[in-house]
Amino acid sequence: MADSNMRFLVVDDFSTMRRIVRNLLKELGFSNVEEAEDGQVALHKLKNGNYEFVVTDWNMPNMTGIELLRAIRADAQLKHLPVLMVTAEAKKENIIEAATAGASGYVVKPFTAATLDEKLKKIFANMNK
Amino acid sequence: MSEFGGMEDLLQDFLTESSELLSEVDNKLVELEKRPNDKNLLNDIFRGFHTIKGGAGFLNVEAMVSLCHRTENLFDKLRNGELTLSLENMDVIMAATGEVREMFGALSQKRQPPPAPAHILAALDLVLQGEIAALAPVAAPAAPVAAPVAAPATAAPAGGSEPDWQNLYDNLLDKAPTPVPAVAAEPAPVPAAPAVIEGEARAVMVEPMQSLKPAPAPKTQPQGGMQQVAAPETTIRIDTVRLDQVLNLSGEIGLTKNRLTTLRSDIMAGKMDTGTLKALDEAISQLDLLVGDLQNAVMKTRMQPIGRLFQKYPRLARDLARQLGKDVELVLTGEETELDKTMLEDLNDPLVHLVRNAVDHGVETIEERIAAGKSAKAVVELSATQVGDHILIEITDDGRGMRPDVIRKKAIEKGLIDVETANSLDEKQSLQLIFLPGFSTKDQISSISGRGVGMDVVKTNIMKLNGRIDINSAVGEGSRFSISLPLTLAILPVLVVRVCDQPFAVPLAMVREIIPIDAKQVQEVSGRATIVVRDEILPVKSLAGLLGWQETQVPHFGVLMQTAEHSFILAVDSFVGRDDVVIKPLQNIRPNGVAGATLSGDGSVVLVLDMESLLASSTADASSLKTSRFITHAA
Repeated sequence: MADSNMRFLVVDDFSTMRRIVRNLLKELGFSNVEEAEDGQVALHKLKNGNYEFVVTDWNMPNMTGIELLRAIRADAQLKHLPVLMVTAEAKKENIIEAATAGASGYVVKPFTAATLDEKLKKIFANMNK
Repeated sequence: MSEFGGMEDLLQDFLTESSELLSEVDNKLVELEKRPNDKNLLNDIFRGFHTIKGGAGFLNVEAMVSLCHRTENLFDKLRNGELTLSLENMDVIMAATGEVREMFGALSQKRQPPPAPAHILAALDLVLQGEIAALAPVAAPAAPVAAPVAAPATAAPAGGSEPDWQNLYDNLLDKAPTPVPAVAAEPAPVPAAPAVIEGEARAVMVEPMQSLKPAPAPKTQPQGGMQQVAAPETTIRIDTVRLDQVLNLSGEIGLTKNRLTTLRSDIMAGKMDTGTLKALDEAISQLDLLVGDLQNAVMKTRMQPIGRLFQKYPRLARDLARQLGKDVELVLTGEETELDKTMLEDLNDPLVHLVRNAVDHGVETIEERIAAGKSAKAVVELSATQVGDHILIEITDDGRGMRPDVIRKKAIEKGLIDVETANSLDEKQSLQLIFLPGFSTKDQISSISGRGVGMDVVKTNIMKLNGRIDINSAVGEGSRFSISLPLTLAILPVLVVRVCDQPFAVPLAMVREIIPIDAKQVQEVSGRATIVVRDEILPVKSLAGLLGWQETQVPHFGVLMQTAEHSFILAVDSFVGRDDVVIKPLQNIRPNGVAGATLSGDGSVVLVLDMESLLASSTADASSLKTSRFITHAA
């Protein structure tokens, strides 16, 4: 089971949404959560801090979630980080794009704590394989 | 009764953040009319709707999700080049943002908003099909039919359907294609739904092509909505750096307080050597600095960029201009200028009125402009700048300007002034007549700028904020309304003067200089005392006289004061000094000419004077110092 001290980075340009995700994570027992408002800020934070999990929105200014994901996978130091993509779309092409870019999971807004828990558990299970 | 149990906090955050976002979207839409193919604009607008929809989804606001889903799809198609925007459809999109704003209004009262009117949803769906839609009011009767169809249809893709991600992911990695079609099938119902609604819409719409003249009914709705949202805002977003500064300073003050407590014990115990007293002096000086810094820091937490207000107006100007058949561009500058939050809210109504006024009365119709040799497009500029400790807000138009003679004539016709007074007014004073209650330059009050609020209310509102408003106008070239406001209402720098052995505070902002009154300099001009200061003849008004008191001594000092209209010398007995005070309003009583009260350093109550109303309330004769008084004294 995952460590409740696991360090999360929640990336979204909409602060209300960051708060929602943070609250949901807290409900699941993860309270070590930091925030970033777009991909650029997130990447900078990731390079300078010991994060263990990234939850990112897709659609953001400056650097989108998918660009962030690609940047993470291209970085020798960060490429093993689990990245959960959050989006409002359940479109096939988006899912394929996320998968090919190396996303660890994909969750569609709006979601509940239970859905998030399920997604996280799957990712944790895969990590321990 | 709230339908958002446990989510009130989130709801508040959502409303604050999304209202700003929607204002940005509104402004970008106005921009988009000028550059309909700007990819960045399309992208930003798409993201705006997308983000609002996402937040609304978590709060279970189905009506908003359903509406934003459509606008988001539309802008997705536009930015991908699948559709091109026809300007005729802008009205539909604008009506949609107006509807979202209405929903914010409902949410701020903790109510679930009802679904958007069916004719707007239907029109959006038509636009999504690449057709030109009209917001014909005839569509309204369709509401009960179409609405239930619309809501569940769009709710589905946002909420329930979700692909088996893990399965897909694993399969993609294994290069096994099988589960992909399963995912593709799920979102399929989406395009199917609008088709149903479209059928409904076509059936009820009489002439979908008559879209150039938008129906007035849906037009006015968004404006009402804007005001609804503007009113209640009980939370504030503060830069954490500013908040940390407050915390830091209050900590420092705590430390200084500890130091003072120790010193007090020492002094009470009889330890009064120079070292102790020097330490006391230092501690108090430090406290003085810290309190000043803290006041500033606290004030800064209340400061908000005026852009938050300004950004609502381009849309307002655009809608109004279209209604009037004018071409007006509202140019904003200085949006980053900061102002106290309460003032910002109170400034909204006067600014809305002035912007409407500029578009409605200020600028001419396209034909008139062309006939006058001007460009067809009129420019109204709204600017804000900080000038010293004041904020200057200016609304400038390049319209027809105001004619002092016409204004004077109107004022006489309406019985606001008599002919004699009118003749004695110079051009600038004549323009000021429009601020008189009951004045309206149009014979028929326009339903647009009218709204039962006149320029007099604008002026009263500005004066309530300790501000003043001036007009400059050149016939044929345009008009400029200048509003000058203090940075904050919380702390007022004052000059404390004495008269009849009682202290009074006057706002320092109005004080130009202090001069000794030498009886030899006092000259009589038409029976009133005046003093010439650097070639300027200024009337001398006794503060005791203004207050209706008997003078107890001959005034020794004059405070050269400047109000919006004129300069004068306020004669007082002596000075106490300058101070930064916090004005407390007087409960239940409101004596003329008194803005409030404050406590002086020695704990006594000092009345803070409201010079404008004091001057207005007292007749010139009572306050103008009789020259004879000085002459007797000199002799």
